[in-house]
Amino acid sequence: MGLTEWIVNRADDVIISMSPYDVLNLPYDIGVKVWESLGGLIAWLINLIVPGNWLSEALISNEVTNGVAMIVMVLVIFIIGFLTNLTMIWEERKVLGRMMDRRGTKICLLGWGQCLGDGLKTFMKENVTPKAIDNKIYWWGVSLIIGTSVLIACMVPLSPRWFIVNYEAGLLLIFAFFALAPFLILCAGWSQNNKYALMGGFRAAELMISYEIPMLLLFAACVLMTGSYNIGDIIAYQQENIWLVVPQIIGFFVCIVCAIAESERIPFDLAEAEAELVEGWQTEYAGMKWGLIMLGDYFRGFVACALVVIMYLGGWSLPFVNQFDWYWMYFPEIVMTLKICLVFFVFIWARGALPRVRTDQILNIGWKVLMPLAMLNLVITILLKVGGVF
Amino acid sequence: MAMEYLDKYPKKFRGTGVIKPFAATFKLMVKTVLPGRRSVCIMYPYEKEWVPDNYRGRPGLRFDRCVGCGICVRACPTTCIELVEVDDGQGNMVKKPQVNIGRCMMCGYCAEYCPVDAMTTTTDYELAEFTRQGMIYDPRRLNFDYTTDMMEVHIEEHLMSNLEKGITDQPTAFFNTDRPVLNGDKCISCSKCAKVCPVNAIEMVVVGQNDKGKDIKHPKIDDKACISCSNCIIDCPKDALKMNEVL
Repeated sequence: MGLTEWIVNRADDVIISMSPYDVLNLPYDIGVKVWESLGGLIAWLINLIVPGNWLSEALISNEVTNGVAMIVMVLVIFIIGFLTNLTMIWEERKVLGRMMDRRGTKICLLGWGQCLGDGLKTFMKENVTPKAIDNKIYWWGVSLIIGTSVLIACMVPLSPRWFIVNYEAGLLLIFAFFALAPFLILCAGWSQNNKYALMGGFRAAELMISYEIPMLLLFAACVLMTGSYNIGDIIAYQQENIWLVVPQIIGFFVCIVCAIAESERIPFDLAEAEAELVEGWQTEYAGMKWGLIMLGDYFRGFVACALVVIMYLGGWSLPFVNQFDWYWMYFPEIVMTLKICLVFFVFIWARGALPRVRTDQILNIGWKVLMPLAMLNLVITILLKVGGVF
Repeated sequence: MAMEYLDKYPKKFRGTGVIKPFAATFKLMVKTVLPGRRSVCIMYPYEKEWVPDNYRGRPGLRFDRCVGCGICVRACPTTCIELVEVDDGQGNMVKKPQVNIGRCMMCGYCAEYCPVDAMTTTTDYELAEFTRQGMIYDPRRLNFDYTTDMMEVHIEEHLMSNLEKGITDQPTAFFNTDRPVLNGDKCISCSKCAKVCPVNAIEMVVVGQNDKGKDIKHPKIDDKACISCSNCIIDCPKDALKMNEVL
């Protein structure tokens, strides 16, 4: 069976009847087919030894197939997000190196293996925990930060057939979980009984009140334009009409600034200002905790880029090729991932070009520059909508 | 109120300052990505920077050319060179320099001052060893297989007398001009100078007879062969020889 048929060929009618999705979901389909091969093989082998036993039948029953398929689906979505994330870390290393007249890392696969090496290194480190910490908040804070970051990264759909749940309030939910992190950072910073960590936590809260409002105004403009919270609908609107970057060019630039601030990257990494505060709010998180926090940071960067792509750059659609079947057969996930990497390039570019802003500067930028611009963007959107242009 | 605010925060278009660093970093990135210009980093153990032949690496020695005069020992600022006796391959024990690389500061003076160009600079700079003993390069180990003519570095001095005459294109070295001269009154005919001369430039010639009828021998220095190493001056027991420095 060729790749084309494998993708197109839906699972059996029986499985479709129990599938939670009413459209083709590629990761679920992969899960079903993996279990059809693997579980079928196991069931067949057991059946050879003990003919007509209950275990073989149970293994290939609809319920077990469905359950395993769900697990494999989630794993596939996570692993693809994880690999994209590692590629983005690699991209950051290489691009930033070139911007600094260096070469970046060269370890294994043109430097891609460095991420794995770093992960392994932090994994091998001793798990050091300070004595006088607030134990519950210390552990729950970091767990929830990492957890929400990975959660929203998995909630980002890569194509009409690559999603976990096609929920109506998709974009709103991602924004809600995204905005949870500064509060948790404040808690985690307080729990460590360390002045640097506490200052980092305060700064995260301060950062949040400066970027969150313009970001939500942009979000409102986007939703007003497209008329839906659903990510699929937003992208379908852009596919049929025009990418929102054209009418909302101001919003696009403001959104990039806000997205950088939202993912707490340089020049807005106030909470983790390693030149001023030791490691900011992560000071007392050693070893693998720190490694996972860094990974979570990059997951948040991934989501921030995905939000820019979804809201302004047409998501998985490309102009001029939308009507072709072959595009929808092979490319939407790849195009979406590439667009995310492209936006992440802008993030890296900003990191290479700009120094860290002060705490008062970020408030000035947030309230005096970004907020009026976001308002202007909203006004333009409303005028366009009322005027019937889009 | 408003004027105070404007005085404090002068009115100018904010944000244009952001464009310049963006342009600079992008320019640099394009430059390093495009072929024709590599980044300043090199992958050191795998690729190395080109070094010129007269690069001041560790000293190298061409064993057969060395006469064992010891000028390098006296020229060395860190006294890391000493003369040791080694077999020259024909059963004779000869004196050749041995270098303690751990103390060497790679100035290349030994190569500059060598009158027979036996000592050279080399392009060898990877000198890490596991022990301090390993840092000591004996005369055989000082050999460098890839010695080229450019590795012979020369000392070049303009003599004041030449400059006064208006000659500015004849730089020379002291071992071409300076020669020992004898104060015949002090000489006791011991012929030690002839024994220590590394190039056999000194020949003892009979200049007369003393009261007891024995020959009085004075050293006769062959100016062509002399390399101005001053071994004869140092070893003379009665300070009868001194260097005639041409200035």
